[in-house]
Amino acid sequence: MAAERSRLAGRLSRPFAGIMATTYRWVDERLGVTDLVHQLLYEAVPRRGAWAYSLGSATLILIVNQIVTGMFLLWTYVPSTTEAWESLNFTERHDEFGAIVRGMHLWGAYVLFVVIGLHMVRTFVSGSYKKPRELNWIVGVVLFLLVLGLGITGAMLPWDQAAYWTATVVTHVVEYFPIFGTQLQEILRGGPQMGPATLTRFFAIHIWLLPALLVPLIGLHLILLRRHGEHGSWVNYEGVEEETAEERARRMAHVEYPYPAIPSDPGYAVPVDLDEFFPSQVFKDSVVSFGLVLLIFVMAVVVGAPLERAANPAALNYVPTPEWFFLPLDQMLVQFPQAWMIPVGVFIVPGIGTTLLILVPFLDRTPGREPWRRPEVMIPALFVVLFLVFEALLAVNRLFNL
Amino acid sequence: MPDQELAISQRRMSRRKFMTLGIQATGAGIGLLIGAPIVGSILSPAFYKGRYPWVMVADIQHVPVGVPTAYVVLMDQGGDAWQVPPVPRTVYVVKLNLNGKVQLITLSNVCTHMQCDVHWDINLNVFLCPCHGGLYSIDGTNIGGPPPQPLFRYQHKLVGNTLYVRNVLTEG
Amino acid sequence: MHLILTSTPHLTPVPISTGVATALVALLMLGHIQFAAFQQGGYIILAVTDFMGWKRRNPHYDRFSKGLVTVLGATFAVGGSLAIFAVMVLFLGLWSHFFVTLERILFWPFVAEAAAFVGEIICLYPLYARWDQLGRVRGLRVGLELLLFINASIQMLMINVVASYMLTPRPAFNLPLILMNPTEIPLEMHRFVGNIAFAGAMVALVAGIRLLWRSRQQLHRAYLDWMGHYGLMWAVGFTIAQPLVGWEYAKEIQLHAYASWYEMMLGGLSVAFLFQVFLLGAIFTVGIFYLWRRVRVSGFRSPALAVCTALSFAAWLLISTPSSLAWSYESVFAANANVPIWQGGLLIPWGQMIPWKLTALIVFTGVAITAITVYAVHLSRGRLHWGDAGRGQAISLITVGVAISLIMALMGYIREDSRGPFLITNHMLINQQQNYTPPSTSGPALNGPASNLGAMAPTRTGP
Repeated sequence: MAAERSRLAGRLSRPFAGIMATTYRWVDERLGVTDLVHQLLYEAVPRRGAWAYSLGSATLILIVNQIVTGMFLLWTYVPSTTEAWESLNFTERHDEFGAIVRGMHLWGAYVLFVVIGLHMVRTFVSGSYKKPRELNWIVGVVLFLLVLGLGITGAMLPWDQAAYWTATVVTHVVEYFPIFGTQLQEILRGGPQMGPATLTRFFAIHIWLLPALLVPLIGLHLILLRRHGEHGSWVNYEGVEEETAEERARRMAHVEYPYPAIPSDPGYAVPVDLDEFFPSQVFKDSVVSFGLVLLIFVMAVVVGAPLERAANPAALNYVPTPEWFFLPLDQMLVQFPQAWMIPVGVFIVPGIGTTLLILVPFLDRTPGREPWRRPEVMIPALFVVLFLVFEALLAVNRLFNL
Repeated sequence: MPDQELAISQRRMSRRKFMTLGIQATGAGIGLLIGAPIVGSILSPAFYKGRYPWVMVADIQHVPVGVPTAYVVLMDQGGDAWQVPPVPRTVYVVKLNLNGKVQLITLSNVCTHMQCDVHWDINLNVFLCPCHGGLYSIDGTNIGGPPPQPLFRYQHKLVGNTLYVRNVLTEG
Repeated sequence: MHLILTSTPHLTPVPISTGVATALVALLMLGHIQFAAFQQGGYIILAVTDFMGWKRRNPHYDRFSKGLVTVLGATFAVGGSLAIFAVMVLFLGLWSHFFVTLERILFWPFVAEAAAFVGEIICLYPLYARWDQLGRVRGLRVGLELLLFINASIQMLMINVVASYMLTPRPAFNLPLILMNPTEIPLEMHRFVGNIAFAGAMVALVAGIRLLWRSRQQLHRAYLDWMGHYGLMWAVGFTIAQPLVGWEYAKEIQLHAYASWYEMMLGGLSVAFLFQVFLLGAIFTVGIFYLWRRVRVSGFRSPALAVCTALSFAAWLLISTPSSLAWSYESVFAANANVPIWQGGLLIPWGQMIPWKLTALIVFTGVAITAITVYAVHLSRGRLHWGDAGRGQAISLITVGVAISLIMALMGYIREDSRGPFLITNHMLINQQQNYTPPSTSGPALNGPASNLGAMAPTRTGP
């Protein structure tokens, strides 16, 4: 450990010579840069299936992309019903780089949703939420919900037709809440109807409230990950349920930071085969993240972010189309019609779904990690994914033909 | 001596307790003082009151019988936030001839399901909402799809042949 | 559209009355659909089973896939010959003008349809003739089976374009719009899921019949018991998606062909549709009942499955309640009895679609997912012993099989019949096929009934 640390200190100061090296040492003695870098880079991770485990870091990079591009969108964007669309229209017409930044913000969000979905599926299928990682799963679900919230509030900000009608529908959904429905809608809209207060509210929620919740929770997510170590999946624990006590003891003798994960089911405290986080895992993470950022950049340059005509509350023939990641929820509005069925569709069914998603670690009590040995969560999840895909397909068909 | 020590330690404990209590109380106070105005400002829109003047729409002699006609009217928002200029809204003026008696209906084109924009579909002879496929008959009755109630109607009045509406909605 | 209709030469059909011609086509096509559905669903079951047999080394999988490929070879020949007979003899002879028009509008989908047949033959017959030899390269065999399924799916997609186009047509020559016509994707999903469920139910049906009447031998019974369970898992598992997709399908018909929707839900076909949902309830209830009892005969009590059966039964009663004591809503109006039954009318409020029948559909979906999950937990813990199934299980399997077969036939009949006087909605009437007169330049006869579509009770024209 100590030898490793001095090697690292040597490597970190190698580019500097003479006075620079001295300066680095002076700073390092006071700030502890070497210790920090050491702590960040040196940990054990499971060796097999490492490409699949790069999705989490890809999510982090994509969120950083959202924060950075978002900051620079604020240089031109004006959160006002009369000027929001004008300011973005100016960006699209006269500010080529601004338009690319806007495109990267939009496509970054799209790719982020796909990657977060894959990250969740990966975690779910591998049973990584099991003891002792239950709370990290819950933090992850909350992060996912926050990102959904960021997605929908961000879609409202351009105040073009798409944004205006999305905001109308989203803020009207809460009116079906029992007893306080009307008040809730007025609070969300800043008044009885869509107006300037609606835009400033969602602007504030999008750039301050939700990110302020998101960033610390990401930190918590990472701290918990470090505390228990990367779980991996069943390929990292092959044969652990059949091994003898000696075999297990021999395996546990080679435990490295941050393992063992405690309290865990017998045999699942340490993956069978370990690797270094740096450089093995970091390399794979970097390659995946680079590919995704490149994709975002290309989409931003080639396709860009659309801007429809300015919001028109008196529209007659406009067909509002929700963002694609909200299509299943939008389709549920068709499936639960009239009177008391609407609250079932907008509150009860998504509410039950979210609750079950949070409770997954407590519903799945089996010790095994293989998906086919956990039908109690795999089968309902399979149906949920199937239903989401079906709902999205049906919504595409419905909107295409209207 | 032990009594004295105990008394001191008890006094210390109570002093400790007092300070802990004080920290908790001032902490709650800071939270309350910052939080209350914020919560109040968030909730205040639920208590706005508005005033809605009459706006001229059209001369009803030009409105055809049996075909809903759309007019864009600049509706006053009832003093919504700081926005002074009124917002354009579509009013469907429907003139029906019921056994020789002319009935006038001023429908809002806002769907009662999710508040999307409803339009009169000349092929189906219904008001169609493109969001989730809500259907309304010519007098605004919901006849199919998810809408839970008929289209809302703007309050209207006739001065001679001139139709006025204002931004107050009644249930159809 | 108008151009195609006027420029297609009129071909006088063989002089047989419209009724007989309709009945002949209906009978033949309903038979063909049963075979074709089994084909498409069977291919994916075959591929999955063969893959499982490869990976899990369960002898039941291997025995089943070998049997299934033999059956599929035979049914392909029968189903294909039915289709060829329908096209060559019935369509061209009895519905010549209509079919040639359709062929001109949907030329490319028909070409793709025919081409997929070639691919299907190339993939199927090696499997049929050289099953064991191909087994030496197991990956290749599974790949061929998947290819077969993809072929059959393309075939079904193309024929669905034709079927959905007839109900909700789009401008001719605009292929993207025709391919994405309003009911195409819902129909495609409805049939895709339905065919797999149907094929599974046919497996269950065969297993049920053989369990009931043959095989006293214990080893054979174990296989049949497993086969029944396996088929039923496919059947119930895939039927779970049907309420959702079917609802949306009906919704699109309501928005884009209101008269047909009215005919199905409130008009002359509403009784047939009620029987349809009765059958759907039967599939769910009897299927879940089977799961419950199948766990029980192996010696395990499952209160959760019992509750699921009870809930499903309650939903079945609810969904089978008619909304009025009349053949159609029009006759309720005619009898001036548009009030609930306790006020002397004909309406039964809890038989209404919204919210009661819809509630029943939601209950079916939730309960069936729960039941399948609970059953799979028992299965994965090794609690089921094959060979335990008795008469009750056999009869349940047969009931589900028969119900799915009937529901397929009935659904086809309802969809085709709901167009009423039209062969192609709003564009070609049945009697135009039989007594053709070239339309005048504006074609009022063709567009006339369209203006009535918005009325709650459309006027029926034609025969």
